[in-house]
Amino acid sequence: MIEVSGLSKSYGGFEAVKDVSFTVGDGRVIGLLGPNGAGKTTIMKVLTGYHRPSSGRAVVGGIDAAEDPLAVKRLVGYLPEGVPLYADMTVEECLSFIAEARGIAKAERAPAAAKAMEACGLAGMGPVRIEHLSKGFRQRVGLAQAILHDPPVLILDEPTTGLDPKQILEIRALIRSLGGDKTVILSTHIMQEVEALCSEVLILNEGRIAAQGSARELSEAMQGGELITAVILGRGGGAGDAGDAGEGSAAAKAAAALGWPEAAAKPLGGDRSELSYRAPAGRGDEAAERLFDWAAASGAKLLELRRERISLEEIFVRLTSEEQKR
Amino acid sequence: MKAALVIARRELRSYFNSPLAYVFIASLLLSSAIFFYFLGGFYAANRAGMRSYFALFPVLLAVLVPALTMKLWAEERRQGSYELLMTLPFTEAALAIGKHLAAWSVIAIALVATLPVPLMVGLLGRLDWGVVAAEYLGALLLGSAYAAVGQYLSSLTRNQMSAFMAGAAALLALGLVYQLAVWLDLPPWLAGAVNWLSLGYRFISFSRGVIDSRDIVYFGLVSAAALYLTAKRLYFSAWS
Repeated sequence: MIEVSGLSKSYGGFEAVKDVSFTVGDGRVIGLLGPNGAGKTTIMKVLTGYHRPSSGRAVVGGIDAAEDPLAVKRLVGYLPEGVPLYADMTVEECLSFIAEARGIAKAERAPAAAKAMEACGLAGMGPVRIEHLSKGFRQRVGLAQAILHDPPVLILDEPTTGLDPKQILEIRALIRSLGGDKTVILSTHIMQEVEALCSEVLILNEGRIAAQGSARELSEAMQGGELITAVILGRGGGAGDAGDAGEGSAAAKAAAALGWPEAAAKPLGGDRSELSYRAPAGRGDEAAERLFDWAAASGAKLLELRRERISLEEIFVRLTSEEQKR
Repeated sequence: MKAALVIARRELRSYFNSPLAYVFIASLLLSSAIFFYFLGGFYAANRAGMRSYFALFPVLLAVLVPALTMKLWAEERRQGSYELLMTLPFTEAALAIGKHLAAWSVIAIALVATLPVPLMVGLLGRLDWGVVAAEYLGALLLGSAYAAVGQYLSSLTRNQMSAFMAGAAALLALGLVYQLAVWLDLPPWLAGAVNWLSLGYRFISFSRGVIDSRDIVYFGLVSAAALYLTAKRLYFSAWS
């Protein structure tokens, strides 16, 4: 549904997006993830036909956004960042204006508005002026105007910013219910949002794509794909109770025995100590098995063995800071 | 055209949702009446005519119309609704024309509200209604040209006050430049050029009761040119 190739966009001398390419299939939900100023909003502005690219192409539904912005605007429902709306209008007036602007036939305007308001939890808010709405409700009006004409493509710039946790969950549920039917691009700097909503992630940093793929693929592709944490009961070797530094603990012994020099050992008091080790991608099973065998052979007991995939958040921080170092 | 009407309706509603439209209409009524009765020498002239009333319009509208048009784009930009509007499927021309129709309608409503003035004058003496009609047509056309220029200046900034100041300055200049030819001893070709350029000079011929198609075309051209520039400005903002 969406094809972006070699897209660059400069504002004045500042290059906000540099040579970005990606595609989004029909009915997919893709998340643009990145720190502020990474170029997420700029990509969206080009995809909505609001801004023209400096070079490269952005094609939505087979139409080049720079060549026929009007046709692209018809295909897309857009929630701009910060939800700019006409403050002096009521919710009803605003949605009815958008419906007219979208060319919805007169008889279908009221039902379309009612449906969008229902979907966004705005029932009963019709006569309220937008300037009197809380941020959460403004956000919902923004979303309602974006889905009003039932567009095949939805572009949502930070759809949950400024909402309280309950509202966030509701808006996410709404977006999830739209996916499958619509192609959705959303931007965020909250990792859980991407993990909760998106079938695919595009991590942006300083205008470039730092990584892309499904949340799972991204985690696995990264070095140190899995974090193994074990709580071990057992006396360490060597000098009796030198446990305070962690050096003489069972965990330290295990690390030495298994050849994991970069693993961290931490005494937990008594004879317990904790071992944490980053297993390389795809080696989690093997590492856990070796740890178990070591414990059985050396008479230590595993009180706990935990394996966590490294969260997107960690990947994100690592990618964006690695990129900056270069 | 239908799209322009959608914009015009929204904009008109916004004018009447705020005090702006009412203040504009009241200001035009009050200031024109005050100048007419006290400064225009209506009684001293001892003649039933609206000429001195309408003679004020190039100046009054030059100050009041920018107050009406300053928000048209500056406010959209400040509020951020510019982005919402520009991602709706409107052509730039429909946007400029729609906003123009809204501002022009408020001016037209204000002009209708001044109708009691000629009606009262008509009671005091014999009034040539043909001339009055020509004067109203002239005021309407002048209002269109002013509103279009004001809208263009509003599209250049996100600050309403600068849009107002620039608008008032530009319209006073356009409205009054013909006075140069009156005060200064300009060579005829230059005086001609100055008169040709001045919206105020064109307006005067309507006050004489003369409806010259060239004047109508001129006002139409100025409006169209300013709207064209506005649409171009909106179009090129996509490359900002």
